[in-house]
Amino acid sequence: MRRLLKMPPQILRIFLLAVGIVTTYMIARYFLTPPSFGQYGWYRGEALVELAERPLVYAGKQACEVCHPDAYQKLMKHEHKTLSCEGCHGPGEAHVKDPRKENIDKSGFAACLRCHEANPSRPKWQKQIVIKSHYTGSKCTECHVPHMPSEVP
Amino acid sequence: MNNPVSRRSILGKVSVAVVGLLVAPAAKVAKAAVQQVFVSPGAPKSYDPTKHKWRMAIDANRCIGCGLCAEACKKENHVPEGPYFRTWIERYIITKPKPGSAEARGEVLVDCRDGGMHGPPESPVPKEEVQHSFFVPKLCNLCEHSPCVQVCPVGATFDAPDGAVLIDPKYCIGCGFCIQACPYGCRFLNPLTKTAEKCTLCYHRITIGLKPACVEVCPTQARIFGDLKNPVTDDPLQQFYQNNRVQSLKPHLGTEPRVFYAGIDKEVR
Repeated sequence: MRRLLKMPPQILRIFLLAVGIVTTYMIARYFLTPPSFGQYGWYRGEALVELAERPLVYAGKQACEVCHPDAYQKLMKHEHKTLSCEGCHGPGEAHVKDPRKENIDKSGFAACLRCHEANPSRPKWQKQIVIKSHYTGSKCTECHVPHMPSEVP
Repeated sequence: MNNPVSRRSILGKVSVAVVGLLVAPAAKVAKAAVQQVFVSPGAPKSYDPTKHKWRMAIDANRCIGCGLCAEACKKENHVPEGPYFRTWIERYIITKPKPGSAEARGEVLVDCRDGGMHGPPESPVPKEEVQHSFFVPKLCNLCEHSPCVQVCPVGATFDAPDGAVLIDPKYCIGCGFCIQACPYGCRFLNPLTKTAEKCTLCYHRITIGLKPACVEVCPTQARIFGDLKNPVTDDPLQQFYQNNRVQSLKPHLGTEPRVFYAGIDKEVR
């Protein structure tokens, strides 16, 4: 302690300043480090929980099956089995929470064309139509059943 | 008095101990009060990130470019309107070489209108001039050695134990280093929150057992999602690894992407 005080005053001041800065940092670190910091790594573990808490928009195919088992069964038996209900009918979490006709998309020919309109970039196995020559002015559903594409209405 | 144990020194030590005893509990109480700010109340604790290893894979052979994935992603994650995408579909058109040029390939045209959200536009070259054309869905490559994680100055972005590379929006200062660092262009600065954003593998969905929104709506199963630690019977991810020759994007950068692609050409970057 004696020796420390015998330091030249300019050095002592710098030394005290450094001690002050480090102490302030340590105090701030003690109070401001979130409790979950370092739980999994050099980040806030709580962030994972917060990201997982966000609300859903798309409910998932299983949620549709609960109320519409007939449509679900039809779909799963035919070529369109890999399709999601919400691909054509739009996001359905709002409809699951409050089932009304207004909050789900009825879907129309735009949904069909989205996948089946001819485009040279599409793979050859994909069934494609040229609207001008295929579309005769009627709805797709007059000749095709979207839930059972291999059936004839 | 050469006795090292002087009255002064004993008094000094005792006073330090008393002050310490008084300050330590007070500091703990104060710390707890301050840290209330960082804890979100009522958070579900049932999900353990160390028990999963999520992986996404892309089978470009199966992509028909319908854009349902890009649209679903935008809706599911409330991505702002405009040129902001967490996942998107690129269209590659490789034209036939000019006659007599003795080249194997012509021009490479890449486009991505509205992130491919509304399906592909008309082909810019007539069908006869196209040598080869295909779609490539893109998303965060979930790199093993993520450049975005390395450059973040505040530790806001990190590689979660379950294989998702995530951003802590409370820590992100919006400096944009990560956006520049990502060689795949997978990040953007959200103009509303002013924080960086990217694909989270739909973290709020996968933690409750649902598939990411893009995988959910994909009509052709071009996007494959699975858990390496908990494979299901006929796991689509394992089947993808078994049945395809896979590659990753920009392997020369050493980022070691964990998203594998099947059926893409050498032109894909």
